[in-house]
Amino acid sequence: MNPTPQADLFAEVFSLLTPERLLRDPRADGDGVTVCVVDSGVERRLLEEKFARQGVQIHPIEGGVFTADRPAPLPYDGRQSSPHGTTVADVILTLAPRVRLYSADVFGPVGTCEVEVVIRALRWAIDAWKCKVVNLSLGVPEQRMQQAQRRQQLQRAVEEAYFKDVLVVAAAHNEHPLTRSYPAAFAPQLLSVDKRLFTDPLQFAYEPREQIEFLAHSRGYLGPFAAEPATSWAAPHLAGIAARILSLRPGLKPFEMKTILYWMFQAAKNGGR
Amino acid sequence: MPPDDLSAETILIVDDEDSVRRTFREWLESADLGCRILAAADAESALLQANQQTIDLAILDWNLGAGSDGLQLLEDLALFNPDVVAIMITGFAHQATPLDAMRMGVRDYLDKNQDLDRATFLRAVRRQLERIRPARRERQLHHGLVAFRSAVDKVLPLVQASAAMTDPVPLPAAVQSLFRFLMRTTGAAAGALLVRGYDPGREPAEVCRVYGADGRPIEGPLAPFARSVAGGAIGLGEPNVMVQPDRAAATGAVELHPFEKGRRSLLAAPLAVAPGLQVVLELFDKQAPSSPLSPVSGERGRGEGDALDPAGFTDADRRLAAAAADFGAEMLRQALAERQTQRVLFDAVEAALGASDSVAQSLRGAAARPDEPPPQAVMERLKEGLGGSADAGVAGGETLRLAEAVRVLALRHGGAAVRHCTEMVESLRRLLDETAGVAEDRP
Repeated sequence: MNPTPQADLFAEVFSLLTPERLLRDPRADGDGVTVCVVDSGVERRLLEEKFARQGVQIHPIEGGVFTADRPAPLPYDGRQSSPHGTTVADVILTLAPRVRLYSADVFGPVGTCEVEVVIRALRWAIDAWKCKVVNLSLGVPEQRMQQAQRRQQLQRAVEEAYFKDVLVVAAAHNEHPLTRSYPAAFAPQLLSVDKRLFTDPLQFAYEPREQIEFLAHSRGYLGPFAAEPATSWAAPHLAGIAARILSLRPGLKPFEMKTILYWMFQAAKNGGR
Repeated sequence: MPPDDLSAETILIVDDEDSVRRTFREWLESADLGCRILAAADAESALLQANQQTIDLAILDWNLGAGSDGLQLLEDLALFNPDVVAIMITGFAHQATPLDAMRMGVRDYLDKNQDLDRATFLRAVRRQLERIRPARRERQLHHGLVAFRSAVDKVLPLVQASAAMTDPVPLPAAVQSLFRFLMRTTGAAAGALLVRGYDPGREPAEVCRVYGADGRPIEGPLAPFARSVAGGAIGLGEPNVMVQPDRAAATGAVELHPFEKGRRSLLAAPLAVAPGLQVVLELFDKQAPSSPLSPVSGERGRGEGDALDPAGFTDADRRLAAAAADFGAEMLRQALAERQTQRVLFDAVEAALGASDSVAQSLRGAAARPDEPPPQAVMERLKEGLGGSADAGVAGGETLRLAEAVRVLALRHGGAAVRHCTEMVESLRRLLDETAGVAEDRP
């Protein structure tokens, strides 16, 4: 009996399923993967200079500034609205320097952001920028998302991403599980990430707890509070890991990625197998 | 027309013949002109009535008998209302001196011996009313505006007084108290409160202010908010610690404000005050627990006795800062709401004065719109503004009622009555002060 295509796929992937082989593969650098950072903008020049100093050539960062009153984003001038987004982008580029990065600044100069703007940015990242991974190191605490309609709108946008094979990585609240936040709590359709300190930034854990499934390294590398453990820095670590895997197999679907990450974690626990 | 309608024109018939007065009155009443109609048999009676109400149109017999004539009476009536106009009823129109009469306000003549019938009479009256009415409404409007402006001038101190009554703890004092508490409990050597407001409709859109631990503003150039420590803290949404901020600044990832440079450690806590307003509380340089803490007023000097804690701020400090941030945010929200209330009130008063100016200007042209009396519209604006005063000690409606009462008082009884009213209010205040044991606060 001939193996099914799915069996082929998993046979191929599983043969690589040692964390070391998969993540340290020289081709696993994010190349060919488009990632969107929905955050407070990215300071392009700062990252270009940092990676240039390390001898790493990154793709030019593109993006837009999203506002509540415009359907399309304003042009991105390479500036951040606050340092948070740059720290997030730096984590992704540190793990997967060859990704093509888009900055969706949903805060802008006003410095505040509504759920509707995040939804708009998410859809724009999927439809206009054709991103394969979207990192959301932001969230709305549950108590501020009591309005069912707003919650449903956000969930619908996350589901749209899922059905378009786009991987959404969302940070849990820093006080998880005391405080739940959205969209991280929509765990089945996305990768929800809590914080933990690992010795290796490529390490992660799969420990489902109160709608959050993954834990990733939570220290950043660049920015005023990068050294502070935060879910904001954990999410881009997992996004970077996912981008590395996607550069090996770009067509992976979100549930396939979740399965691979699960098996990678199990394999690491079992001594690499 | 109800007789007490102040907006109706008043017509006074003066004729010594009772039958003529009755006939004219019947003609006027049957024509339904919407006017108040008075009648007098002689000059003395006419002047008595003019003393009680403004006569707009006088229908005067040229020869009133007893040696007096209509022209003389008109001259006397003009003393009460300089804008009074008249229709002269005469049996010998050729004797009239048109030029003098016109100057005195005679606008028409009717010869009772020739063409005086109901139609002729009413035609002449209507013609005059058509001229009187716009000018009269314009005058009323003008008087209304003057009274309104006077009322607003009186309301303003009331609004200011009510704002002063509800003024919370002054912001600098509140900031100082907050920092005193935080610095004592965390052992921080200094602190600062950074406030950044962004309003795209304002020039400049971004305004940043910094207050020291003593609550006083810190002047001097600041780093751009988008590249500042405070901007980073806002992004994380909770208190966070930086050790040796200069190192982070050296990477280009952040720009430090002058008062952040050279610090060993920094604890930044964002305060969720209001959309478009970012506030961050920063504490600097935690002291070693053994170091003596003295009362703090502004930044402490870093002397020999102030050993810096190499461990920096702890998780306990962070939790404390989070609690203080909640409290501080509430405090700032109240201060902000208070300021906004006052601003709304002052804006309303300003808008009201502006609106009355604009109406007054339009009155100078011929295109005044007497059917839309602006004082009402202006009062609505003021009412709206006062309605926004949720925290005022005196409810907006009460303030407005008082202002309206003063306005009507001024309109009907003049400045002396208003002064008397003010004295009564002062007396009441003194009485209540004495009863409540409140000290006199002004000479």
